Amino acid sequence: MRRYTRLYWEFAKSHMKVMMEYRIDFLIGVASVMLEQFASIFFVKVVFDHIEQINGWSFYEILFIYGIAATGRSIHQIFFDNLWTLGWQYIRPGKLDRLLIRPVNPLFHVVADRLHQDGFGQLIIGLIILGTAIPQVDLVWGAAEIAMLVMMIISSGLIFVAINLFFATFSFWMIDSLPIVWAVFNLSDFARYPLTIYHKGIRMFLTWIIPYGFTAFYPAAYFIDKSGYKEFALWTPVAAIVCCVLAYVFWNRGLKAFASTGS
Amino acid sequence: MGKYWQIAKGRMQENTAYSAWYWAGTVSSVMRLLIIYFFWQAVYANQTTIQNINLETMLTYIVIAMLLQGFVGGVGNELAENIKEGQVAIELMRPYDMIFKMFAVDVGEKVMYLIQGTIPMILIAYFFMDLSFPKSPETILLFVVSALVGIWIGTFFDFLVGVLAFWTVNVWGVRVLKESLITFFSGALVPITLFPDWLRTITEFLPFQAMVYLPVSIYSGLITGTDAYMALGVQLFWLISLYVLVRVIWSQAIKQITIFGG
Repeated sequence: MRRYTRLYWEFAKSHMKVMMEYRIDFLIGVASVMLEQFASIFFVKVVFDHIEQINGWSFYEILFIYGIAATGRSIHQIFFDNLWTLGWQYIRPGKLDRLLIRPVNPLFHVVADRLHQDGFGQLIIGLIILGTAIPQVDLVWGAAEIAMLVMMIISSGLIFVAINLFFATFSFWMIDSLPIVWAVFNLSDFARYPLTIYHKGIRMFLTWIIPYGFTAFYPAAYFIDKSGYKEFALWTPVAAIVCCVLAYVFWNRGLKAFASTGS
Repeated sequence: MGKYWQIAKGRMQENTAYSAWYWAGTVSSVMRLLIIYFFWQAVYANQTTIQNINLETMLTYIVIAMLLQGFVGGVGNELAENIKEGQVAIELMRPYDMIFKMFAVDVGEKVMYLIQGTIPMILIAYFFMDLSFPKSPETILLFVVSALVGIWIGTFFDFLVGVLAFWTVNVWGVRVLKESLITFFSGALVPITLFPDWLRTITEFLPFQAMVYLPVSIYSGLITGTDAYMALGVQLFWLISLYVLVRVIWSQAIKQITIFGG
């Protein structure tokens, strides 16, 4: 464990140096992610200028859901973004074979190869959204609530990671599963709004099959109990752990299948 | 025998990767339609109109806008790739106008996209979401012209953004930046009439509304009569201005390459 922490630090340090070489690009990356998020929030704001509530949720309450998703996603984007590139940067050019002979866990190596600068934009905007929403939401905030919120956000981030890892693993069989990863990731857009506005089938799907519901709506429902999901929301950390374990087991299977073809 | 099988298999795997992109795109579009549908149903649950727009018109607007937005842009990414990989220098020596060549490739891609992506999506949308058609043949004609002009404005703008790759390394960031600007100001998410006044004023001075908002408003009947022709005029103004800008900036950029290339 200590060895891996030190290794990660070394990887991160060298990566930071590269990042600072291209300062303008760093800024463009951060700004672009922030603007992207801002555009979709502004959309909700424009709609709310003309109405009072959606399905019982006010503007700031929706913002709160959104803020949890955005912050959770930043964990994924800063630390685990390299999973996206598994196919075209590792498997296709044969770089993964080289990783396999190193005395480091290959998953760790792929993940540690990159810290993604644009994720910082995501983190900043996520915190801004939460900071804007929380004072406007009718809630008493104590230490327990804050601890809970942090845990929910970490769980949300881990679910993003697990889902991406799971679908990136298909690359071992099809060289590059990026299109699948991308399509599945787009599903997380559903999670921005209260799940209760959707058809029951979609709600089930986002809870039990690809559990993006746990990245935003259920955690938010713990704090703002509009639809009776407060109890259910407590399963969020469990869902996160289960997802991570499943994804990791699947990753190991993929890796084994890959190594045995010997390509 | 074994190694040829491997080559063939590799090729097949690569091809599945491309068709996988097609299916991923289709699945994502269907999902976006679903989100749009349920979101607006929920918004209209407690009212019949918003700014005099009813649910049917709103859904029509949003869906057509989403589909049209898919055509705005595209050439810039190709250009940026060419620049990054140093292909431009070779391209420039070839006996054709590189700008026209790139636009031609882009038109080809868009026709494919229309057939493979948009038409199935339109069918799904009409079938399940019960959108409205324009009232008269004149409106349809106006919409088609306006949409084509809008797409070209988007293409020119995209080209201008692509040229930035000469100066920046983070092409991905610039692309997201551009996409957000367009999504935001073009009225792709929500009719610009719903914007707060100050923002509406700003958008009137920007080219983005001419890409999506004006054509789609003509289609869905938010803009009618002489206003529709006025809108077309505004679009033509942007079309010409941006084309001139493309030419000017491109010749500057070429000078830059010639200097680098010696």
